[in-house]
Amino acid sequence: MIIRFLQRLLWMLALVAAQILVFNHVHIYGYTTPLPFVYLLLLFPLGTERWNILLWGFVCGLLCDITSLTLGVGMAAMTFVAFIQPPLLQLMLPKDAVEEMQPGYDTMGFWGYFRYAFLLTFIFVFTYFLLQVFNFFHPLHFLISMLSSWLLTFIFVLAIEAMRYKAPL
Amino acid sequence: MRNLLDFLAKYYHWLIFLLLEVVSFVLLFQFNHYQNSVWLTTANTVVGHIDAWERNLLDYMALGDANRQLTQRNLFLEQNNAALMRQIQELTHDSTRTELLQAQRLQDVDLMPAEVVTNSVLRKNNWMTVSAGSLDGVEPEMGVVCGTGIVGIILAVSDHFSIVTPLLNGNSSVSCRLRGSSYIGFLRWDGRSPLYCILDDIPRHARFKVGDIVETSGHGSTFPAGLFVGRVSAIENSDDGLSYRLRVHLGMDFSRMQRVCIVRQKFQQELRNLEAKADSLNNEEQ
Repeated sequence: MIIRFLQRLLWMLALVAAQILVFNHVHIYGYTTPLPFVYLLLLFPLGTERWNILLWGFVCGLLCDITSLTLGVGMAAMTFVAFIQPPLLQLMLPKDAVEEMQPGYDTMGFWGYFRYAFLLTFIFVFTYFLLQVFNFFHPLHFLISMLSSWLLTFIFVLAIEAMRYKAPL
Repeated sequence: MRNLLDFLAKYYHWLIFLLLEVVSFVLLFQFNHYQNSVWLTTANTVVGHIDAWERNLLDYMALGDANRQLTQRNLFLEQNNAALMRQIQELTHDSTRTELLQAQRLQDVDLMPAEVVTNSVLRKNNWMTVSAGSLDGVEPEMGVVCGTGIVGIILAVSDHFSIVTPLLNGNSSVSCRLRGSSYIGFLRWDGRSPLYCILDDIPRHARFKVGDIVETSGHGSTFPAGLFVGRVSAIENSDDGLSYRLRVHLGMDFSRMQRVCIVRQKFQQELRNLEAKADSLNNEEQ
């Protein structure tokens, strides 16, 4: 229990640090900023208590927001994703999935995880950008930055999952 | 209560989710000017709309009351309108030549307006009650006229009302003449149509034609001379063949009479006293 908690804490700190130190400074053509810290929420296995995931998402979003200029955006988006992650995972996992199964390439297969990450990162990035822009005055600008950021986030998430798969943590 | 607790236990994550989202949004709006302003504007618009809906709803619910008030108001105004219309009609009434002449003839006498209280036209001997009595100065034997002709003679008075013997009464007899010539006859009613009376005792050498005007003769102290009564509509022989009997189309319609005037001649009393004296002298001689 404690070990799992510490594991998650480590994951969180690492992802937040990477986000703050590296990814937040990426602005490709002023549009694209990857947000791979959402990977933390993808880690939670089936059967985790919902309040647990919600709190993790909330705190992780808060930590990332503190250093960015838009406090509240990451928190709201992360909390939202934390809320829909369990039912989504339930849908994506095979019928015979055991309790406490960790989502990943090993348990879901590459395409299974691909779909899972595809959806969740999209929902996250979409929510995040919507809250940040908070209007629809420039739909083209919004679409370009949202889609490109999502693509980059998605790629990073797949890469991080690959790293975890190679050297299980 | 237990159900509620069960419900909460089952869906507690909804509560946590909502709580965390609320915190997030509070921070979002608190620390970001742009989002804050958008939020305020939107919230204001939404609240404005909701207020408008509420207003509309309340207005709608108050419609019943408003309706009642309007109905009352409407009733009041309609009554008012009817009264005013009546007045306008009276004031702007297009007076006919007959009425003008009538008014001229009646210039020198006292006229007391009165309303018809009861009236009948269908019986053999009709009676009419008008709303002026001895307190208004009405006395028996006074004449009653209306705008288009004479009506009858006062028979009896009480304090506030008087009974009139109208022309449409078998006992009524008014001295009349043909306008232009001075042949005199007596106007009676044969008890048939309320639109016609009979003028008896016109001598056979008199010259006249259908359509000639019949007016009061001024004999007797009841009516002044020259008041319009009606027009000759048919000429017949009297029963004994010594005179003409004229059918007279009356100038007024008794069945819709509403306002009349009671005529008081200046020297009526004096004239009557004199006549009474003459009568008594006559009786003494006999």
